[in-house]
Amino acid sequence: MALARRVFDAPRVRRHDGLRSFLVAAWLGWQIESNWADPFLFAVYTIARPLASVLILVVMYAVITDSAFGQPIFPYIYLGNALYILVGQVITGVSWAVIDDREHYRVAKYLHTAPIDGYAYLFGRGVARLLIGTISVLIVIAFGMVLFRLPIRLDTVDWPLFLFSTALGVAALAGLGAIMGAWTMTMARHFWSVGEAVAGALYLFSGAIFPLDLLPAWLRPLGFALPVTYWLEAARRALLGPQAHGFPTLAGLTNAQLLGILAAFAVVLLVSSRLFYGRALHAAKERGLIDIETGY
Amino acid sequence: MATERVAKATGVRLFWATMWARAYPRMVGTFRERSWLFFETLLPVLAVSGYVFIYRAIQAPPAYTGFAVLGGAMTAFWLNVLWSMASQLYWDKDQGNLEIYVLAPGPLMAVLLGMAVGGMVMTGTRAAAILVICSWLFDVSYQVAQPLWLVAAFVLTMAALYGMGMLFASVFLVSGREAWHLSNLLQEPIYLVSGFYFPVKALGFWVATFASIIPLTLGLDAMRQLIFAGDSGLGFLPVPVELAVQLVLAVVFITAAYFALAKLEQIGREQGRLIERRR
Amino acid sequence: MSETPAIFTQNLGRVYKLRGPKKKGDPKTIVALTDINLTVARGELFGLLGPNGAGKTTLIKILTTLLLPTTGTARVLGWDVVHQAQEIRRRISMVSGGETSGYGLLTVEENLWMFARFYGLDSTIARQRIGEMLEVVGLADRRRSKISDLSTGLRQKMNFIRGFITDPDVVFLDEPTLGLDVTAARQVREFVREWMQAHPDRTVLLTTHYMAEADELCDRLAIIDKGRLLALDTPTHLKQRLRREAVFTLRVAPLGRRPLRREDMLEAVPGVRQVTVAEQDGATEIKLILDSEDALAGVLDHIHRRGSGLIALEKREPTLEDVFIDLVGRGLDVDTSVRAEEGD
Repeated sequence: MALARRVFDAPRVRRHDGLRSFLVAAWLGWQIESNWADPFLFAVYTIARPLASVLILVVMYAVITDSAFGQPIFPYIYLGNALYILVGQVITGVSWAVIDDREHYRVAKYLHTAPIDGYAYLFGRGVARLLIGTISVLIVIAFGMVLFRLPIRLDTVDWPLFLFSTALGVAALAGLGAIMGAWTMTMARHFWSVGEAVAGALYLFSGAIFPLDLLPAWLRPLGFALPVTYWLEAARRALLGPQAHGFPTLAGLTNAQLLGILAAFAVVLLVSSRLFYGRALHAAKERGLIDIETGY
Repeated sequence: MATERVAKATGVRLFWATMWARAYPRMVGTFRERSWLFFETLLPVLAVSGYVFIYRAIQAPPAYTGFAVLGGAMTAFWLNVLWSMASQLYWDKDQGNLEIYVLAPGPLMAVLLGMAVGGMVMTGTRAAAILVICSWLFDVSYQVAQPLWLVAAFVLTMAALYGMGMLFASVFLVSGREAWHLSNLLQEPIYLVSGFYFPVKALGFWVATFASIIPLTLGLDAMRQLIFAGDSGLGFLPVPVELAVQLVLAVVFITAAYFALAKLEQIGREQGRLIERRR
Repeated sequence: MSETPAIFTQNLGRVYKLRGPKKKGDPKTIVALTDINLTVARGELFGLLGPNGAGKTTLIKILTTLLLPTTGTARVLGWDVVHQAQEIRRRISMVSGGETSGYGLLTVEENLWMFARFYGLDSTIARQRIGEMLEVVGLADRRRSKISDLSTGLRQKMNFIRGFITDPDVVFLDEPTLGLDVTAARQVREFVREWMQAHPDRTVLLTTHYMAEADELCDRLAIIDKGRLLALDTPTHLKQRLRREAVFTLRVAPLGRRPLRREDMLEAVPGVRQVTVAEQDGATEIKLILDSEDALAGVLDHIHRRGSGLIALEKREPTLEDVFIDLVGRGLDVDTSVRAEEGD
């Protein structure tokens, strides 16, 4: 509660609906995400799911290649899948709050009548998942380094490239998450969260687990239109160094060009998500969907 | 206002009525809420495609494409069991429906069975759609040598799987939001140990044996052996053995669900968990 | 069998264990019911009156087999709630006010049909009864609306019907008019009354914290507070308990702040049994229960000394609210659910 008091009482946040909404939502998100069970179960949840999903690929790889983990394609697949955890967590973190608040906690109507910035609130709710996702990514990568000898050396990692590209990637994904969250305001509840669903769909087109060149030519442009494609490429280059250059898809782009493209995506997605949020909120109000409860 | 007494069924007829009444919302839900077409067909198709392309990237034999497609289609059933069986009673509690179920004379076992039957019908359409689309996209060819065995494998797998779902549901009857998280936890780890996207034999004898407690493990393995007859060398156990295990699992799970339900309803009443709303 | 009461409880009690993080010294349990002894005959419309948190809902949940008692016994139609739950369930139904249960994707008719089937009603008969009931409560034109499209009030109405379609012997109505507008609440009360008239062998147990509702509907009433039964009688008899006393409503000029010392309060005036004070339209309304009319002079003197003056005075018949105030020492609008005890 001490944290809550600091957040609520900080005088500077009182003046800004956006920042206040973001901070309070971040606090709330953390309470929800971290309080549901004992730490053991929490650890299992944070570690088991991501590890299992990467191990599916490892087993598939091992079965076919007779465990040839030294081939360049292996770190490509492994890292792509590990980093992709953040994609799901960020998009879901930002968008799931809409369903959770509306159908589980049933507070949507109170949130929408409170003087908060709903758009900033969504981003705040995503922070907890971002943190949890980051922990998962680190664990999965560490696991790969120890067990499968991923060729990552901490002293040769291009940290500025890694951190800067990740920050831009997360911003772009948060924008995408806000669009999904806004869309969710006009949709029924499903056991799928829209965030996970969209993350799942983009998995195929972003070169996360196989080079884009394998896709049919007519599908490739979709991959080039996604920020994740560029973020994964930049992150792989930063972590693996020269090994990352074994695949030709984006080899023609310099690091600076990759970052430039990512920055453009971040700006476009954040701006368009703000606009889309406004429209969706209006539509939800018009159709009376703000506090609808579905289920079957 | 009518004053004469209304006849009410009891025993088997009440069980039957309750079961189909609970299955009904599931079945009509398919037509009422069309967004499942996107969520539960298109997205799994994309996920399966991802695995197919990985196999292509590492130059796997073409048979593996079929393995991944079949596994991908069967994920629909696993997700249905986790989300619409196991954690359903938790949602129902949240909406105030659980009280009404418990209070009604229709047996809770019939309610669970209704959820299972409705779920199977609902999910069958999705699984079939995934299978057909992916088979067409990736040109998968099937060689079914023994169709009756295949039908038996599917039916027994469904019985065991939804029996397990009923057991889960009864356990989740007394749980709160943990149910939701446990369902989350049982997604990818089960895809892994049950060999949804690769032959479970690859995990070694002990892991595969341990994973056989999940009915889809041996069910999928048997169906793969029966559908891709040419690649039967990749099977874990002989098909008749796998089907016998499925039969045992079905009986055990459904019986266990029956007893667990009675016991857990009692615990729920003792601890006040049937009536709580934890948000 | 006809001798068997519809509801019978003996020394019934329920203690909840409190879950969640606790600090040292925090209570571990909460007592919801203590020593409830109650007999409701068949054919009675019986009311449970009490403020929020009094234990009314806990009692209903025990009687409807959703919750086990921690002490004592309870029987419904002669069947034990702990061991013969299934027998009870065939014969009862429950409706909670403010309830929004049901599946949003199903229509009103489909939701009701589904629940009717859970009670073993024949499909055709169920549909026919649903049609009739919807007609009676004025929901017939919405029978094919998805319930996600219904207003809260209409959804509540649908749930209300659910409780009667299955032809129950005992109906438990837990705050059935909670959140309904005046007209809808009146319709609900009328329905209950008519149903009881048409089915004189059936029983309704109704909880409410609306005094007028209890007074208007119930043959007998139990007043419950902090988990204990304080009184049990017909509304008339309950009110008669106060006949010997004098019940007044006074309207005076604003009384101002409540005095700090007890001896300066209105309650300290000799002969005053109970007082409730409310500010209304720029004046103060005082409801008084006095031992006798003689005490009135002291009250008026007290008011005068506090700088106020009499605007109007009415001697009136005691109401159930007066009975409640007399028994509990405060009005019905006070939540008394926080009553925790150490240890478990």
